Amino acid sequence: MRIRRHWFTGLVSLAVIVFLWAPLAIVAVNSVNKNPLLVRWGGFTTSWYHQAISNPDVRAGLRATMVVAATSTLLSLAIAVTGCLWWRRAGSRSRRVFDGMTYLRIMLPEVVFATALFLVFTRAHFQLGTGAVIIGHTVWNSAYATLIVQARTASLDPALEDAAADLGANPWRVFRRVTLPSLFPAILAAGLLAFTFSFDDVVTTYFLNGTANPTLPVVILSMIRFRVSPEINAIGILVMLFTVTMFAVAFLAVSGAGWSTRRSRA
Amino acid sequence: MLSRDRLLRGALALPTAAYVVAFFIVPLVVIVVYSFARVSLVTFNISFDWNLDNYRQIHDPLYFDTLVRSVVLSIGATVGCLLLGFPLAYFISRQPRTWQRVLLVFVIVPFWTSFIVRTYATVNLLEEHGPLADLLQTLHVISGPLMILYTPRAVAIGIIYSYLPLMVLPIYVALERIDDELLAAAADLGASPQRVFRRVTLPLALPGVAVGCVIVGIPAMGEYVIPEILGGGKTLMLGNVITDQFLTVGNIPFGSAIAVVLMALMAVVLLATRRFTRVETG
Repeated sequence: MRIRRHWFTGLVSLAVIVFLWAPLAIVAVNSVNKNPLLVRWGGFTTSWYHQAISNPDVRAGLRATMVVAATSTLLSLAIAVTGCLWWRRAGSRSRRVFDGMTYLRIMLPEVVFATALFLVFTRAHFQLGTGAVIIGHTVWNSAYATLIVQARTASLDPALEDAAADLGANPWRVFRRVTLPSLFPAILAAGLLAFTFSFDDVVTTYFLNGTANPTLPVVILSMIRFRVSPEINAIGILVMLFTVTMFAVAFLAVSGAGWSTRRSRA
Repeated sequence: MLSRDRLLRGALALPTAAYVVAFFIVPLVVIVVYSFARVSLVTFNISFDWNLDNYRQIHDPLYFDTLVRSVVLSIGATVGCLLLGFPLAYFISRQPRTWQRVLLVFVIVPFWTSFIVRTYATVNLLEEHGPLADLLQTLHVISGPLMILYTPRAVAIGIIYSYLPLMVLPIYVALERIDDELLAAAADLGASPQRVFRRVTLPLALPGVAVGCVIVGIPAMGEYVIPEILGGGKTLMLGNVITDQFLTVGNIPFGSAIAVVLMALMAVVLLATRRFTRVETG
């Protein structure tokens, strides 16, 4: 009986995993397919990759994306770390407000708050562009970063910091020598994730970018709309390799941190 | 000394508080205020006279259909994710540890690839003469080309494709926590496997199912990129109407009203599922 039930769910699982991977496999195959219409396999080529790498729009997009992602990540980390340090010693009611705001920033459909920010910026005559995009990304990125750092601060032992303070370290020194090192894996993971989310974003950027250089995902979106060329597949594969690597490193940073606490507790 | 410490501690809340108020709460309040304003489509001047015209305009079949379609598509995609995701999560949770890890990697890695690229990838899959069409033709399900791309069905498939891992993970977490001995005890007491599943497994998995449905259903309702790419640029969902009103038409009060409706829908879903999701988030 047990075997039979697993046989059914196993089959569904296999189908679902194929469904998840097949489209990505098609992109990978087409990125080296010589046939420009991509209807049949036309032989191996790397020319789409060459085209992608030398495309000036893609290059400018990548530069813009890097600037936005790096700045938004740093801002998000500053907000998340200070917020989490406060959260550790806050009362339960203020904690609930804090947590509610964190979840809301993640749950609210991006379109809604991107339009809201767009409205405020245009009414206040604040120039749309890279600065506005960074502010927008940081709204949800700081929430993701907060969630990750928070998980770590919750398991942090205050006794260590109290001991350092008792031994005469001032608050800043306690933070730098005790709190920060033990938070580091979480901060690293949060930073990598924030960078990747920002790197990947379309909607917020689309609204707040104005006439500034569009970021890479927005460039890709307009290429898809106008069905420019098979080089989208090559760009896609390159972007995918980058984001998967970032996520994998972030994941290892988080699970590595979990491993070391478990070991130190044992 | 103590008061200085407290002051310092309070100051730590400042960056988050200031940022959230300035760039999250204030904009949302502003958008609510604007949803009651009126715009002159000649001069684009906005006047505030607190009227409900924008909300009435949503009843216009053109927009009301989109509203209904957004809700139906997001419910349909959520149900689709559940139907595909539950068996998968269940299967993974019943495997030995090592296999659980391997299978989870297979589920999560596609989710780690760029969102826009993933959506583009589904275009390839659903193409008239694409791989799915080939497969369905070989199985004699269809005889001609596959006519799915740039229809609401394609959008639903795209949403399911992009959001599926968000459904699988919370259900897996809930199922994985179930003690095997609990299931064995139920079986020893004479419950059939179906009964064990219905009376023990399913109720314990419910919080995970609820979280999955919320984190799939709510973002799906406001989806912009997927209908834009897979819907062929028609205003299929609310996200596209809002974007159109803001960036192309310039009717900001009406766009704001739709955004407020979207927020209200989200609030309803969150409140309705609170009972189930609270357990999960602690």
